[in-house]
Amino acid sequence: MSAAENKRSVIVGIFVLLGLVIFVVGVFTLASHQKRLMQSIQLRAVFDDVAGMRKGNNVWFSGVKIGNVKEIRFYGDSQVEVIMDIQADVQQFIREDAKARISSESLIGNKIIEIFGGSAQASPVEDGDLLTAVNPMNTDDMMATLQENNKNLVTITNNFKKLSTNLVQGEGTAGALLTDSTLANNFRNIVASLQQTSANTVQASRALNRFTSRLNNSDGLVHQMLTDTAVFNRLQASVNQLQNATTAATAITDNLQQASQKLNNSSNAVGVLLNDQEFANNLRNTMQNLETSTQKFDENMEALQNNILFRGYFRRQEKDQQKVQETNAGAADSVNVIP
Amino acid sequence: MLSKPDKPDGTRERKYVLTRRLDRLFLELHRVFAFNIRFFKELVVPPFEFKEFIKQCFEAGVKSLPLISLTGFIIGIVFTNQSRPSLAEFGATSWLPALISIAIVRALAPLVTALIAAGRVGSSIGAELGSMRVTEQIDAMEVSATNPFNFLVVTRVLATTLMIPTLAMYTTLIALLGGYVNVSQMEQTSFATYFSQVFGAITFLDVFSAIIKSFVFGFTIGMVGCYKGYHSSKGTEGVGKAANSSVVTAMFLIFIEELIALQIINAIRAT
Repeated sequence: MSAAENKRSVIVGIFVLLGLVIFVVGVFTLASHQKRLMQSIQLRAVFDDVAGMRKGNNVWFSGVKIGNVKEIRFYGDSQVEVIMDIQADVQQFIREDAKARISSESLIGNKIIEIFGGSAQASPVEDGDLLTAVNPMNTDDMMATLQENNKNLVTITNNFKKLSTNLVQGEGTAGALLTDSTLANNFRNIVASLQQTSANTVQASRALNRFTSRLNNSDGLVHQMLTDTAVFNRLQASVNQLQNATTAATAITDNLQQASQKLNNSSNAVGVLLNDQEFANNLRNTMQNLETSTQKFDENMEALQNNILFRGYFRRQEKDQQKVQETNAGAADSVNVIP
Repeated sequence: MLSKPDKPDGTRERKYVLTRRLDRLFLELHRVFAFNIRFFKELVVPPFEFKEFIKQCFEAGVKSLPLISLTGFIIGIVFTNQSRPSLAEFGATSWLPALISIAIVRALAPLVTALIAAGRVGSSIGAELGSMRVTEQIDAMEVSATNPFNFLVVTRVLATTLMIPTLAMYTTLIALLGGYVNVSQMEQTSFATYFSQVFGAITFLDVFSAIIKSFVFGFTIGMVGCYKGYHSSKGTEGVGKAANSSVVTAMFLIFIEELIALQIINAIRAT
């Protein structure tokens, strides 16, 4: 064999070997990806409907792929038994009371079997165990629900259409609000008033804030009432005293009422004085008589002063009076002279 | 050949069994069948022309590698780019690796490899054997006690049968790398994520069916090229015709085989 032929053979050998390496690596990667080379156990689940599940579909547990569907076969009357190959190393995490349901990898993805649930009290599954199957919602059921939703949507749309038509035509309060310019102006005024009110409210709020700040001032009466127990006790004592005073005032009022009742009564002297008309007439006559008597007495006294027997006495009194007046005038002058 | 002399009663014997074209078609089919049977007979009969086999492997496999690698890489990029808008409409561009994987492993890699090999290797075989036939080298080999079928046909058919699957492996890997380059650039998908999705989307059935298809394609390319060349005639014109018909027939048969294989694989997948 020539050197060229040798070289050619070696190159072909390397070429084929590399091709085989690619193949073998690919097959082993695929096998490891599909968990074909790992020890596995078999679990079963019986569904009413597998919804297009196929042999080889994935089995997930807590979102992790742990195996695939090995076989799908009919079971009983019309049920379907699905046999799953599960990695042996996750056996300890799947409990006997875990459930299996048919799900999807994504919205339009492949069907998968999802194992979920299981309590810590239950023992781990064994090879060949039957898991409780949760039957998936049928597509027809979903479509029926969607159809119902569609009907509701149509009704809502129609209602909204009527509503929008009324709004555009200015019917109803909301429609009038949108189309009637007077109403709009009124509404604008209302909004302006509301703005003013809100501004006032803000001011009131500020004032209230200041007031409460003052209330919170430790020197204030209210703050002391709320915080200082001594002030409260004094205030309580004052209130008690006020209450006593009120009681006394009530008694006084009662007495006054009794007195006023007596005043209205003619059985006593003041009552007679106030109420008895006859007594009043007598009293008036008496007073008239007394006035007449006083005038006559005055005339008598004047006549007496002019009487010779008593004239001297009245002159001496006049002289004493003049003396007293002069003495008082002299004292007043001496006070004015002194600076 | 089918025409017979006139009967004694004066009536003419029928010249063709059916019609001229149908008779030729069935004759061709018979010759193809006989050629195939002879191949399998010669395959197990020694001596085996190992040097010629290696030479043909080198010609069909190693020398085709640059062209097929480049084509595979471009196909990976182009297919990824063309598929992206469709998936983007569903917001499913994250499924690109899975789509690329399925398309390349199941169909594109074996098919593209076979078509390129049919163009490059099939025509080469057809032209080479045709010129040998025209120049009576094959007759000379027979005279010199060398089995031309064993030397020329068995080695070439065997070489293409083994080299096309090997080339398909390279094409698969390189096309997937081409797809990765594009996906990595556009979606910033990591190498591990990409190949995880690639292997998550395919099954053993996909891989082994692709390999088996490649063997069939390789056998077809070699057999068609050898047959057309081995049975070429009409001088230099026949050489060109043999080369041309090798490519056209091989490609046609490859598509037919792909279609049949698809039906069989789907039937297996459904069970």
